[in-house]
Amino acid sequence: MERILRSKEMAEIILLPVRHHSPACALHISRMIEKIRPGVILVEGPGNANSLISVMVHEDTKAPFAIYYSYHDTTGLISEEKEHYRCYYPFLDYSPELAALRTGKRLGIPTAFIDLPYGDILAASQEGKGLLKKEEEKNNYNDDYLLSRNAYLGQLCEKTGLRSFDEFWEKYFELNGLGQESEKWFSDLLTYCALARENTPEEVMREDGCLAREIYMAEQIQEYAQKEVSSESPVLVVTGGFHTPGLMKALGAESRMNALFMWEAENQNDALPAQKTENQNDVLPAQKTENQNDALPKRKAPKRTTEAIEVKNRNEALLKRKVPEKDQGVYVMPYSMEAADALNGYASGMPFPGFYQKIWENISEMDTPYENAVLDLIVSSGKETRKKEGYLSTYDEICACAMARGLAGLRGKQEPGAYELLDAVLSSFIKGECNMASDTPMRILRKQMTGNAVGELCSSADVPPIIYDFQTECKKYGLKTGSTLETEVTLSIFSSSKHRQISMLFNRMNFLETAFARKVKGPNLQLKKDRNLLREIWKYKWSAQVNSALIDVSVYGATIEEAAIGLVKEELKKELGAKESAILLTKVFEMGLREQLQTVYDRVHELMLLDVDFYSIAEALKSLMMMEELSILYESKMEFSQLIHLGCQKLITLLPSMTRIKDEDLDQCMKALKLLYQLTGRDTDSQFVQEREAYYEALQRMSQDVEIHAGLNGCIQGILYGSGKKTAEAVEMICRGYLTGTSEQLFCTAQFFRGLFFTARDLVFIGTQFLEMLDEFFGRVTEDEFMGLLPELRMAFTYFTPREIDKIAARVAALHGKKEDILSRKAILPDWYSYGKEMDAYVRSRMEGGEVSHE
Amino acid sequence: MEQEFIKPPVEVRYKEELEALKATDTGNKPENWQMSPKAVRTFILGSPKPVVYKDKEYLIEKKYLGNDALVERCIVTLAGNRGLMLVGEPGTAKTMLSELLSAAISGVSTNTIQGTAGTTEDMIKYSWNYALLLAKGPSREALVPSPLYVGMERGILTRFEEITRTPAEIQDSLISVLSDKVLNVPELGDDGFLFAKAGFNVIGTANTRDKGVNEMSSALKRRFNFETVMPVREAAMEKRIIINEVNKLADEAHIAMQADEDVAEILASTYHELREGVSSYGHRIDKPSAVMSTAEAVSVYYQAMITGYYYGDAEISMEALVQNLVGAVSKENKDDLEKVKGYFNTVIRDKSSKEGGLWKEYYEARKWLR
Repeated sequence: MERILRSKEMAEIILLPVRHHSPACALHISRMIEKIRPGVILVEGPGNANSLISVMVHEDTKAPFAIYYSYHDTTGLISEEKEHYRCYYPFLDYSPELAALRTGKRLGIPTAFIDLPYGDILAASQEGKGLLKKEEEKNNYNDDYLLSRNAYLGQLCEKTGLRSFDEFWEKYFELNGLGQESEKWFSDLLTYCALARENTPEEVMREDGCLAREIYMAEQIQEYAQKEVSSESPVLVVTGGFHTPGLMKALGAESRMNALFMWEAENQNDALPAQKTENQNDVLPAQKTENQNDALPKRKAPKRTTEAIEVKNRNEALLKRKVPEKDQGVYVMPYSMEAADALNGYASGMPFPGFYQKIWENISEMDTPYENAVLDLIVSSGKETRKKEGYLSTYDEICACAMARGLAGLRGKQEPGAYELLDAVLSSFIKGECNMASDTPMRILRKQMTGNAVGELCSSADVPPIIYDFQTECKKYGLKTGSTLETEVTLSIFSSSKHRQISMLFNRMNFLETAFARKVKGPNLQLKKDRNLLREIWKYKWSAQVNSALIDVSVYGATIEEAAIGLVKEELKKELGAKESAILLTKVFEMGLREQLQTVYDRVHELMLLDVDFYSIAEALKSLMMMEELSILYESKMEFSQLIHLGCQKLITLLPSMTRIKDEDLDQCMKALKLLYQLTGRDTDSQFVQEREAYYEALQRMSQDVEIHAGLNGCIQGILYGSGKKTAEAVEMICRGYLTGTSEQLFCTAQFFRGLFFTARDLVFIGTQFLEMLDEFFGRVTEDEFMGLLPELRMAFTYFTPREIDKIAARVAALHGKKEDILSRKAILPDWYSYGKEMDAYVRSRMEGGEVSHE
Repeated sequence: MEQEFIKPPVEVRYKEELEALKATDTGNKPENWQMSPKAVRTFILGSPKPVVYKDKEYLIEKKYLGNDALVERCIVTLAGNRGLMLVGEPGTAKTMLSELLSAAISGVSTNTIQGTAGTTEDMIKYSWNYALLLAKGPSREALVPSPLYVGMERGILTRFEEITRTPAEIQDSLISVLSDKVLNVPELGDDGFLFAKAGFNVIGTANTRDKGVNEMSSALKRRFNFETVMPVREAAMEKRIIINEVNKLADEAHIAMQADEDVAEILASTYHELREGVSSYGHRIDKPSAVMSTAEAVSVYYQAMITGYYYGDAEISMEALVQNLVGAVSKENKDDLEKVKGYFNTVIRDKSSKEGGLWKEYYEARKWLR
């Protein structure tokens, strides 16, 4: 702890360093507050959350919860993209900051947050650094990485034989720190933090906005200290340990440091190093011992006046961009242990929140909180392992306990901690080689150490407008939000406009990933499936998580529709292909969004322009046409003709490059061609009429490529014939070309027919040329070759209706001089069939000399 | 140190170090242990501070490179009621760890049963000196104790090497000894009960490659704490191990040569990349089926070194290295050599063109891959 002594202008300031999420720290902080009885408690945290403190310390509010900060960069302060930003500040029962706030409430001491508002922190950070880090996961306000990742620390862990900073912390500050005097504990922590800070380049601190925040916090502290000048009680400041030395400096107290350290020296006796040497060979780097008392005071102390000017200049430089209030949002939301676990990649404070929660609960009640928690977890994970795997005995649990204790002794820890627990379970519960198949006990333990608690908020908690909007919508449509049971509703979306609106709400909630409703049955526009269905069946269920998820997206807008459209735009910022963006558009279509659609169209337009994948554009076009068709049913006012026109143009431009496709792409390609044929055939729309000529020209050009895929060629010939660009004779010529070609080309005839029949099957019924050619084709191939071509031929004939097949058969029969009736088989009555079967059985049994069985 | 053995046992090699540690040990000792668990840890994992004993400073070096927490668990297990079973890939220094542990804890690392397919129950429990048996009848003098018997009688550790090479029914003779800590010799009548003295325990080692040869019964598994020894995952540490071990071997054989850092690095990275299946440049590599252990790398290096010492001018040559590498990989499968060839023709080629120097020599020596 650091004291800045009382002066004429200011009350005494006491700076307490903390590590976020630490049971020992939370314990010591409550003790210190009780001892010092400060006049005001200032806590590190964005200042715009001050109004939430009453909710956070309310007795109905249960941790874990998080403060949610959002900022919409409407003025483009941070980047030109004007993006949305958000971050979380999680609190657990054993977070020192929360302990300080709660103790403050208990003792009637006012409390306040003193950090820069969230948006200003962002503005003070450099791109890609600090809270502007581009990670796909959530950003945390209280990221300790400056404390837990530096060069000094790496050496420290190596020398002390500990695996990581977390183990180091647990050993020296948690396990051995619980029984310490609070003053000594804070002074040890400060020593560590000062060293960590010395080993962090100033560049890094500036880039992630750390320095700007400290300057602002120091200003705030000074303000409060001036206000409190008349009172006898000091101002207590609780900040991350990394900032404490920086705050000292920013408060201009450096010159007085010597006095402070002397005061400390009286209270502590060579705290850390002495304790370390007791622990046999765990020797800290010499640096630590040396630096203990003289590192900071040695630094040159600039004169007060020049420093004040320097500070002021820097303040102005760093804080010149003031972020508008209205663009910032701040709410408390329930959080979960899983999300709070550092091992899940959020990197905030210690891992294993479930384990330390137990420690926190044990601290006040027993002398050996760790040993009891370890025992509890060995038993509970043992029980679950037994249930799942079946082999574990009580003796294994006894061995694990002995192992945990033995390891604690060997490692010089007062009680077994999280790492001894993990080691104990690893060595005593796992039989045989440790691998994926045998490490179930470890996985069970890890899960239990994470915990599964979910926080709750008191009823007076302020919620963002989006939640009110959600509640009003639900009330309007009579959806139950009181019960947590799943309810099923059937919506006739096409006949009832109310039903359609409910469906829109569900779709929007789904898009916002709130897990509120799920569609069980109904048309699926994304996959273009089940489009014949007239009703949608939904199941919905309200839970606290729905609210959390809504708070999470509240940065995008005040109503559900606004948030949905915001998120759509966010999605569109990604480099989507034409197909994906059209699928996104189908979601917009289902959600019935009406506002700000122009920007969405523009972006989809852009994405389609960028895409050069023929099939992707064809898929997109199909989706667009489907929506256009369904517009009336869905009562949508969305405009697709522009996009469809664009897709059509792009496809036609890309067409000439598609001649040499692979066999497996044939189907898709033919469908795209047909789609274009339908589109350009629209007489009603003048813009498509223009494309018609370009389309036929492209087709003509394609068919001139000698190496064109035969199937595609057939398809093109069919279209050209259908549009009157080619005569039946011309098509016949081409077909004959394949037929009379060399053997490879001969086989292609089957594919050619397939393509041709796909677009122009009526050719077969004009004259007899095509049938003769087919006949000739069959005559030329051998039996084996025919079998090989059969699948292709079957495909070719699937485009005909049964009646047409009959007609073809009759003609072929005539061609071979047979009469039509050799083909016709009359239907057999069921009675006749069963009679025949019975007769058959009878005859057989008689011939075999057995009995007649009546079936 | 007297050089009477090809490879002196651990307690001989580190005699002075062990004595110094014993004399300065202040920790609590489990009954019959030579030193406290903390001192055992220091002996195996080293200490940054030298131990001062009889006016001499002993710098305890780190003898087992790898997982420190694993060593700590092993020590605690041995102080407890269960045996310790070290499992892992071949060449992961399981035997070395078990030797270090028994030398530090009991003062001897030679009380060992060497498990083979031909191991019988009397090799594990006891057998008889038949001349004495005929002359004096069944008596303690006529009994030939096994390492297990000795361990129980004297309260020291018994090592059981390659336990899974032994038939399962023979392994099972350990079960009652481990749980009841008593061995019954019916031939000796009422005096035939040998109760284990405190300090007795068993360290087993087993190869995961032997899986399925003789699977341990679950009854026996229950009497052990298992520790899985993983291959070294960092090329830098593998290099350290190669240098340490090779120097030790050279010392013992009176070869006046030191391991070369750069050559060791090349060999370590070869072994590391072939084992992990991906190179430091990101090439995908076909993994050979042969065991690519650190111990193998040490022996390849050592062989190449001997070649250089006796046939060359006391310099290790890349050609000798590659020649020995061939012998090490083409043991089980002919395809393995092809895979190593492929590795040379892609990864080593790229490295030689980028790094030059020794890498280039190494690449040029590929002609010996055949």
